Amino acid sequence: MHIEMLLDEYRQSLPVFRKLESVVKEKLRQCFNEHGIVVAALESRIKTVASLTKKLELKGYKYHQLGDITDVLGVRAVTFYNDDVDVISALMEKMFNIDWANSIDKRKTLEIDRFGYLSLHYICRVPETMYYDPDMPQLNQIRFELQMRSMLQHMWANMYHDMGYKSDVEIPVEYQRNMIRLAGMLEMADEQFSHLRKEITDYRRHVQSLVATGNFDEVPLNGDTFRSYLQLKPFRRLVEKIAGINQAEVYEDSLLPYYDVLLHMGMKTIGDVERLRRTYSEGAYQLALIQLAGTGLDIVASSVALQNICIVVILKQGFGKAGLTRLFAVLYGESDYNAQRAQRIYEQALKINLL
Amino acid sequence: MEIKINKLPDKTYVTLNGRIDSTNADQFQNDIFALLEGDCKFVDIDCSEMSYTSSQGLRVFLLLQKSLIERHGNLVMRNMNPHVKEVFDITGFSNIITIL
Repeated sequence: MHIEMLLDEYRQSLPVFRKLESVVKEKLRQCFNEHGIVVAALESRIKTVASLTKKLELKGYKYHQLGDITDVLGVRAVTFYNDDVDVISALMEKMFNIDWANSIDKRKTLEIDRFGYLSLHYICRVPETMYYDPDMPQLNQIRFELQMRSMLQHMWANMYHDMGYKSDVEIPVEYQRNMIRLAGMLEMADEQFSHLRKEITDYRRHVQSLVATGNFDEVPLNGDTFRSYLQLKPFRRLVEKIAGINQAEVYEDSLLPYYDVLLHMGMKTIGDVERLRRTYSEGAYQLALIQLAGTGLDIVASSVALQNICIVVILKQGFGKAGLTRLFAVLYGESDYNAQRAQRIYEQALKINLL
Repeated sequence: MEIKINKLPDKTYVTLNGRIDSTNADQFQNDIFALLEGDCKFVDIDCSEMSYTSSQGLRVFLLLQKSLIERHGNLVMRNMNPHVKEVFDITGFSNIITIL
């Protein structure tokens, strides 16, 4: 009788739970976007009649009304890194009204010699300042459960649920012990991923500051440092000079494909690239001048500047048509046309004494 | 400029014949952008009979490529004669558009 009464209340409240589910997920998505947090998954569920009935049959004596059950709506945010769980939880504390008495940090409840389920569970309400619908004031009274965990914690929870916890037959101790060993390993891996992310972030910041302060010779050339260098727009002046030949519009395209070319050319540091820019920009302009003047072509891609610098370097260093053909193969793949293009440019370079 | 269009379920094939210059660039743009009215994502342009393109033509190809990329598609141009290819090379457009 008591269970039926609670189930009736549940059925009547379903539209409110559905609205609450949609509001909470939307607010979470907004929050993650605003703070640049990438989550692996944001999922939710409203208990079905069957699962609520099962819960009430087991523990119905604890609940006097539906509002006493805090997980009819469950929402879960799964992060890539375990330290993001703390970042998200701090944001949630500002967003929602937290029922601290019923919230639990499973990460802190395990004994020091135990491994296993790690997750942060907050019991929350939506404050009226965040969302209020006068036709549905109950929405702000209903509590829901918000779980926050990392991907590896999530994986452990699912595997354990699948293999052990939900099983009707108790699994033997040796298998349980193996599950716990895996939990310890995943916990270590989780920490290492976060640690590695922090180290990589620190390295990138260090390199960015070296590039920004012009200490180019101290900066090894790699994908990250080349990207930072390009943020300084080092080829801007040359691009504008080339565009000036026909008063052309400049279309900004990516220079990242030239990273492989620069490696092929033996560049080791950003300083090497910078010297290349300073030494060969005039030749690159002269090449553009003979190619573009009189054509009326009034649009150029910004990559034309670095393209021409690479061409001039190859010619000046005596690699000739074969060197140019190799350059085009690195940039565009092997084709017969690469040799034709190399021949044409070689002839143009002869005319302006670029060799 | 003559344009032939063959729309297949997974890709649209276009054949260009003649010059693209200031006299026909607007019409060329209208014809090309009619391709985008459906759910076209991948466009393959045969340029073997295209004799020249001006900057206006380059802008149309660029806009087409950007629109297709926004749809998670792509533009491929193929069989350009060396004179047309040179226009793409010296403007840096060979770095932007896939030319086979």
